[in-house]
Amino acid sequence: MTGSQYLLLASFGAPLGLLIACLWEAPRRRLPGLLWLAPLPALAAALLAADGPPLVLDPARLRFTLALDAPSALLLGAVALLWSAAGAYAHGYLGGKPGARRFALWWLVTLSGSLGVFVAADLVSFYLAFALVSLPAFGLIVQDGTPRARRAGEVTLLLAVLGEVALLLGFALLGDAVPGPSLAIADALAALPDSPARSMVVGLLVAGFGLKAGLVPLHVWLPLAHPAAPMPASAVLSGAIVKAGIIGLLRFLPPDAADWGGVLAGLGLATAFWGVGCGITQDNPKTVLAYSTVSQMGVTVAALGMGLALAVPGTAMAVAFYAAHHVLAKGALFLAVGVGAVLGGARRRTLVLLPALVLALGFGGMPGTGGALAKAAVKPQLGDGLPGLLAALSAMGSTLLMLHFTRRLAAVRPAAARSVPILAPVLLAAWLGMAAAALLLPWALYRPLGLGNPWDVLGKDLAMALWPVLAGALLAIALARWGGRLPRVPEGDLLVLTGRAGGLGEAIGAAVARLEAALRAWPVAGMALLALILALFGTMLAAAR
Amino acid sequence: MSPATPGGSLLVLALILPVAAMLVAFVLGGRAAERLALAALGLGALLAMLVAAAVYRAGAPLAYAVGGWAPPLGLALRADGVTAAMLLTAALVLLAVALFGRTGHATPPGLAEARAPFAFWCFLLALSAALAAAFLGGDLFNLFVALEMLTFAALALACLEGKPSQFRSELRYLLFALIGSVLYLLGTVLLYGGYGTLDIALLAGRARADAPTLLAAALMTAGLAAKMALFPLHLWLPPAHAGAPPAASAVLSGLVVKASFVLLLRLWFWVMPPLAAAAAAPLLAALGAAAILAGSLVALRQARLKLLVAYSTVAQIGYLFLMFPLALAGDAEVAARAWLGGILQASSHAFAKAAMFLAAGLIAGALGHDRIAALGGAGRAVPVCVVAFGLAGLSLMGIPPSGGFTAKWLLLTSAVATGQWWWALVIVGGGVLTGGYVYRVLAGSLTAPPVTDAPIGDAPLPAAASRGPQLVALALALVSVGLGLLPLASFGLVQVGRLGAAP
Repeated sequence: MTGSQYLLLASFGAPLGLLIACLWEAPRRRLPGLLWLAPLPALAAALLAADGPPLVLDPARLRFTLALDAPSALLLGAVALLWSAAGAYAHGYLGGKPGARRFALWWLVTLSGSLGVFVAADLVSFYLAFALVSLPAFGLIVQDGTPRARRAGEVTLLLAVLGEVALLLGFALLGDAVPGPSLAIADALAALPDSPARSMVVGLLVAGFGLKAGLVPLHVWLPLAHPAAPMPASAVLSGAIVKAGIIGLLRFLPPDAADWGGVLAGLGLATAFWGVGCGITQDNPKTVLAYSTVSQMGVTVAALGMGLALAVPGTAMAVAFYAAHHVLAKGALFLAVGVGAVLGGARRRTLVLLPALVLALGFGGMPGTGGALAKAAVKPQLGDGLPGLLAALSAMGSTLLMLHFTRRLAAVRPAAARSVPILAPVLLAAWLGMAAAALLLPWALYRPLGLGNPWDVLGKDLAMALWPVLAGALLAIALARWGGRLPRVPEGDLLVLTGRAGGLGEAIGAAVARLEAALRAWPVAGMALLALILALFGTMLAAAR
Repeated sequence: MSPATPGGSLLVLALILPVAAMLVAFVLGGRAAERLALAALGLGALLAMLVAAAVYRAGAPLAYAVGGWAPPLGLALRADGVTAAMLLTAALVLLAVALFGRTGHATPPGLAEARAPFAFWCFLLALSAALAAAFLGGDLFNLFVALEMLTFAALALACLEGKPSQFRSELRYLLFALIGSVLYLLGTVLLYGGYGTLDIALLAGRARADAPTLLAAALMTAGLAAKMALFPLHLWLPPAHAGAPPAASAVLSGLVVKASFVLLLRLWFWVMPPLAAAAAAPLLAALGAAAILAGSLVALRQARLKLLVAYSTVAQIGYLFLMFPLALAGDAEVAARAWLGGILQASSHAFAKAAMFLAAGLIAGALGHDRIAALGGAGRAVPVCVVAFGLAGLSLMGIPPSGGFTAKWLLLTSAVATGQWWWALVIVGGGVLTGGYVYRVLAGSLTAPPVTDAPIGDAPLPAAASRGPQLVALALALVSVGLGLLPLASFGLVQVGRLGAAP
């Protein structure tokens, strides 16, 4: 094994190693303070091991493969950075509270899955990593133990399991399409175009990954779970965990899926506007942010879909760049909500609200911000025609939504939250560090990743970049003035429709229970036994004839 | 096939050891029975490992002809891959149950002998002997005898405490199992009349698709299905578990039904004419699918923890029947996959279900009840048990990495590969429902204990159970999960001796 292959293994092995160390008491006690260390090998892998040789264990059957291409490395790096900052933040935020150790355990499991999806290159390891990032997130969400957190956790868990089911079926069909015993994703994708089940596979995968990425109508868990979790967990949920869906779509959609490209673009744009529409009626700044995540993931998927439909070269890198900016900026803003809840006075304005405003405008594409570069990166996909216009309108919507967020953030009075009485310096450092990364890293990475010269973006089409921001700002003023008249949308909007489905499930369960009780009566069981004998005999006799 | 192979004497030892230990224990009595049982079951686990290693190394079944007489005149003991795997599973689960029983079924201090502990250890050995006979036997009539021994040993374990309510539900089990035995026996008579032998290896490939043979197959299958509690013939299983002590439930659900399963495999894959078997297999699988869905839905609605686990068994047994149409219809590669999936499901379910019943018993012991609605505080009183229950639940649901996941993945991909995708939907649907009832238990146990305003002394506070039995439950759950970490190639064992498998 070469050094870069060791790094691939260490990227998700480090959190698992820490987890194993927790079998002993001493590491377990120190664990909450060590969380920030766990993602660092992954960060190193993102920097040093991109496009290196894949690591293949059991090469004869290709059962276990790790690999890291450039777009995945970009996302892996961003996600690792956020997990590290949020880990440091979590130690300061939860401190010595009871349950901090339990939280740290859930954190490490989710972390290993969250990093693992970017390096796993065979179906089984990817599925395992995806399950690790989906299911244990429940523990992060219900940390506070309130009924609201529990409900959010249950809805998330249920939907995550359904997503897993869709993926499992999709992967089973994919594995079946491969002629040999190989389970490598690359082989599966190569075999997919000839498979008779192709559209079913792609449909199942889009459902499974779209659920994680928050595509409407499968997004309902996101605005419930993200506000209910503790701040650092919200940051990684919204910043890092939803990206498991994005990397899945990037990795598994075959390059010839032009037909699905249009579908994805439509779903993505609908999601983008849906998120804005629901988000502007929310009061809780965390819920506003969660809806903004829904909206932004919609734009990401729309860019991917248009890239597939138009067969634009370099789509994977452009989409990864857009998503990586979202990792950094959205993660940072969630951390800001926690800082804003305890910091008062003038420092609140300079250290929380002002940077938050800059990041917020970045989501609308304000020239000069990292967000503007992210928007420029997906320009080839979302540049022209109707999609271009809709993308610009969604940028306007994002500006509106994020300004609404800034207003709600400003409205949170420090006295309102007593959970963190004193501000630990690490909270402030984590937030400002992530904010700086969200602003500056896109500038530093734009050229090395082959997307062009960042300074050209600043000069080109200033008016085109500015109008969504200005129009969004005007709308934000209108919202501030008349927004009170808008109808309230409950968190998890479409979820209110599921009440009836729950009643139906209950009725089915009761009916099955009655039937089962009837079958347990002696005469019925005797008849069933007789019927089984006759049915078996009859079938076999008919076949023998 | 040669009547005896090198290593065949291992099979004799595996059978004689528990029988001899039981007889000696019966004579010595009291505390000696416990010590002897533990030693014999420990040795049995070692022997099972040796048998598995010998089968794996030889790549061919082991055989031993009793008294040097080859069938059809004499009786043969045979161990192929399935036998070795199930023998090892049974030996490990029995050893775990014995270690678990050291606290619950020890002879009380100050007494030389007490009825219930003495019976527990003797019948545990009897059960071990019956299981060995059921797995090793190569003759349909011998297998019938083994199954009867098994039923009676399990029955005795289940009504160890001698409560009237136990007798009522165990009588139900006895009656239904006997009906199954009668049907099975009728089938063997028909087969003997047709072929003059009941030796499985001799019958294999010789069976004709005529009416008596097919009727025999139908009768025997129905009889075994009744003994396995295949839905809708499961009326005896939930009540039998409701009153039984946890150790009895663990072996009843985990092992006793699996003996009938192995016999069913012998019947369907060795004895029955392949065309007829392939035609009737979807019928079995359909009942299995009904078991998965109905059993899981009913488990989801149970109010008592033990009944929930019992209905979970009804559902998980269903998965075993899904392998029949998959292993009989597909090409050789798919058949091998489905076969492995079925055996792995039997084995991982044995470990997981034993872990669940032991954990459920300890939880009920610590709380003084097993109402699911009031499980709060269990997480604090018996944390290891709750973890064991959760891990076993993961394996039952089929969450990776676990033995249950590998088993269900193999069945799932076989279903897809043979174009029978409807079984795939049942597999994943059952997984979701399983997740529902496991979640109910876990979420309930992890909440804070209910605050009662009853005076102290009225409501028993959750008492911490001793650590040993909890660790046994955890170890079983870990084995069930750990099966999923083994590379698939190492399961080549279970293909040894399968008819139609590449050598």
